[in-house]
Amino acid sequence: MPGTTSAPEIELIIEDIGGGGGGKPPAGGDDGDDGGGDNDNRRRKQSSSSKRYSTAITIALVSILMFFMALASAFLVLRHGSDVWVTVHLPRLLWANTLVLLASSFTLEAARRRLSLADPSGFRKFWLFTTGLGLLFVAGQLIAWRQLVAQGVYIASNQASSFFYIFTGAHAVHLLGGVGALLYVSFRKFEKTSVSLSVAAEIASYYWHFMDGLWVFLLVLLYLGK
Amino acid sequence: MPASLSRPRLSRPLLRPPTLQLFDLPMVFSLPTFGRADVQTFRRGDVPTFRRSVALAFSSPMYSICPASMANDDSTANQPEAPRSGFLARTLLSTDHKVIGLNYLWLALFSVFLGLAMSLLMRIHLVWPGIRLPFLSGSSLERYAALTTFHGSLMVFLVLTAAPQAGFGNYFLPLQIGAREMAFPKLNRLSFWATAASLFGLTVAFLAAPETGITLWVASVALFCLASLCSGINFSVTTIDLRAKGMTLPRLPLTVWAWFINAILSTLIFSILLAASVCLLSDRLLSTHFFPPLNFLAGQPASFVANFLPVLWQRLFWFFAQAEVYIAMLPCFGLTTHLISTFSRKPVWMERLVVLALCGVGVFGFCVWGQHMFSSGMNPFSPLVFSLLASSLGLPAAILLISWLGTLWNARIQLNTSMLFAVGFVSLFLAGGISGIFLAGHDLAAAAVSDEFITGHFHLVMGVAATFAILGALFFWFPKLFGRRLNESLGKIHFWLTFAGVYLVFMPMHWLGLLSHSNIYSGSRAAAIAAMVGPVRAFITVAAILMVFAQGIFLVNFLWSLFRGEKVEQRNPWRATTLEWTLPSPPPTGDFGPTGPVVYRGAYEFSVPGVAEDFVPQHLSPEEVVKAR
Repeated sequence: MPGTTSAPEIELIIEDIGGGGGGKPPAGGDDGDDGGGDNDNRRRKQSSSSKRYSTAITIALVSILMFFMALASAFLVLRHGSDVWVTVHLPRLLWANTLVLLASSFTLEAARRRLSLADPSGFRKFWLFTTGLGLLFVAGQLIAWRQLVAQGVYIASNQASSFFYIFTGAHAVHLLGGVGALLYVSFRKFEKTSVSLSVAAEIASYYWHFMDGLWVFLLVLLYLGK
Repeated sequence: MPASLSRPRLSRPLLRPPTLQLFDLPMVFSLPTFGRADVQTFRRGDVPTFRRSVALAFSSPMYSICPASMANDDSTANQPEAPRSGFLARTLLSTDHKVIGLNYLWLALFSVFLGLAMSLLMRIHLVWPGIRLPFLSGSSLERYAALTTFHGSLMVFLVLTAAPQAGFGNYFLPLQIGAREMAFPKLNRLSFWATAASLFGLTVAFLAAPETGITLWVASVALFCLASLCSGINFSVTTIDLRAKGMTLPRLPLTVWAWFINAILSTLIFSILLAASVCLLSDRLLSTHFFPPLNFLAGQPASFVANFLPVLWQRLFWFFAQAEVYIAMLPCFGLTTHLISTFSRKPVWMERLVVLALCGVGVFGFCVWGQHMFSSGMNPFSPLVFSLLASSLGLPAAILLISWLGTLWNARIQLNTSMLFAVGFVSLFLAGGISGIFLAGHDLAAAAVSDEFITGHFHLVMGVAATFAILGALFFWFPKLFGRRLNESLGKIHFWLTFAGVYLVFMPMHWLGLLSHSNIYSGSRAAAIAAMVGPVRAFITVAAILMVFAQGIFLVNFLWSLFRGEKVEQRNPWRATTLEWTLPSPPPTGDFGPTGPVVYRGAYEFSVPGVAEDFVPQHLSPEEVVKAR
């Protein structure tokens, strides 16, 4: 009888639902799983409506990485195929800038720690300090550019200088976007939004640390590829 | 859910036409009460319209608003909507995924006809250079190249990337996964407007003088890349995070799988083209030398390795472009599989393997850029590797073909226009794909074929097969989009004319391409064959002209049905299983309402033994499914 053979199949389906598979409930305020499963840190569980932001920033960071990898692979191909590669001496200022950016990552984390300890004024202090360090970094990059121009090294001088300017310029543009995000987090009122301040700070921190790491990578690439 | 190749026949044959089902078996069609049982009554006439003359084109159901608050809704979180927003807010500035999806489709419709016009100009000029044509008379070589570039950019970017992915995807991805909206609606609107701006830029670039034109073209392409990146992030996050309860990954319809894999691929690939475009723009505007032109190379010392420098552009471009063609094809694979299963009334054969094949196509797309560079002077051993990788793309393609054929096997096929286009896709994909196997062979590609063989190949797969998938999807979803049917007779006439036309246009190109390099004939025989080239080209051009005019039948069908087509009263005229068919046509703002649907089974439960109907929708709970007697 066909009716009886179909019953076990349907029961299996009910068990599937009980298991929950990978399906996430719609935006109903339920706490979903923590995306990273990182139990070491005191990471807050995100509601499903704010999980989308951390998924988005992760994918966006991979995308940005691909952008810089395309430039890096172009750099390596041209560098190693060329007999007439002119060395661009990296301004000393770049190392100081690197320290500034690394410091900003530390102050960012300090700010987030303050927030989790329910110290909003401490959070604001460190957060704005981070923003200031970020702007200081960009200013330092501009000064480094001017130093190179003073030596007569322009973007079109040779391929090495072109790559230097393109790398540092693209990174600075992305970093300014990060500064904008930091300012947004510090000035937006988070009471009425679906995302909490701590989640927004967390997502901004992913982006900022990524920019930090990316800069270190670019500096090493330019230094070793000199 | 085991999917056997052929389901046992139902105990009771279905003799009733679909329109009566709704009333005969109310239990199977128990409309899901997501708190909005009376939304279907809100049609165009109920919403007060003013300024009818202006709003005429946009007062059709596709742009009407049915505020969620008018439904029976006990949720206290749902505040009454503001009074009906203005025309601009509803259409051009809307963040509703359905409106944005439709906007993309309009953009693609405009672009495809513009691109067809360009291709006609090209073909006519190729065969009858003496004729005075708009834009081409003045006969500078650059004009013809601009025409080809514009045609290609329009078709690849604005039609093949925008229509199946951004157009249908934006509209139906949230509906098919049971979400209310995309993850980032405002970002979605931004993506659409960036795409529209890039179309504007491409058109202006085409009309401008060559030097400015090329710079503007590169900038427009870069803008398109940014738009696609944002769109890809939106799609990925929506599929990952916004699925309804019970919509596990194995239960996703294959259209959703294709859109999802495509979105991930887009986020990875458009960055590469963006980087290459930035370098090229820097070359043109800031006088850098990332891709040095010949006169720069001439001034370099003799030891400068000259031949591989331009290859950098080729590498970057083809790394993007090869993956881009799969971005164009993946949604079409998903659409075809979906249509074939729905209209064969059978589950997708080897469904999980098809998903793996889609993933395989995506992954392989990254590995085969070198197949376009066999004669570029790369490392001599690399063609072997790339040739092997390119040929191995045959494996996922074969899996897809076998699945389609296996689904069609022994099925009660409903051969409506949508299904015709889906089966036409299979034919064209097979025909075009087989020539691809030959092209993957490095020795053949380098020596034995000219551009026309390659042109024939990629037009069959991308240009026409993908277009067939888009048309099939349009005929399938037209009732849901606009609440009306496209005319089936006109649709079938259009299908057969186009189907014959594309083979007549692109098959001879393969022959022409092989002919120009073949050396098996000599002497008078060779001369006789060479003398046929001209007439064959003319034949292709005439066939192309006729085929383009045959598209007028489609345009008439589309526009007429938009306003005067046969209205579709039931929500699920095709008796399909996926979630978008549970909503009114067109779906109201807010889609499913605050309480989303619950999904109990996979998307292709057709001809399930022991069930009264020949399909079981995804949203019906097991108690609601009517068993066969």
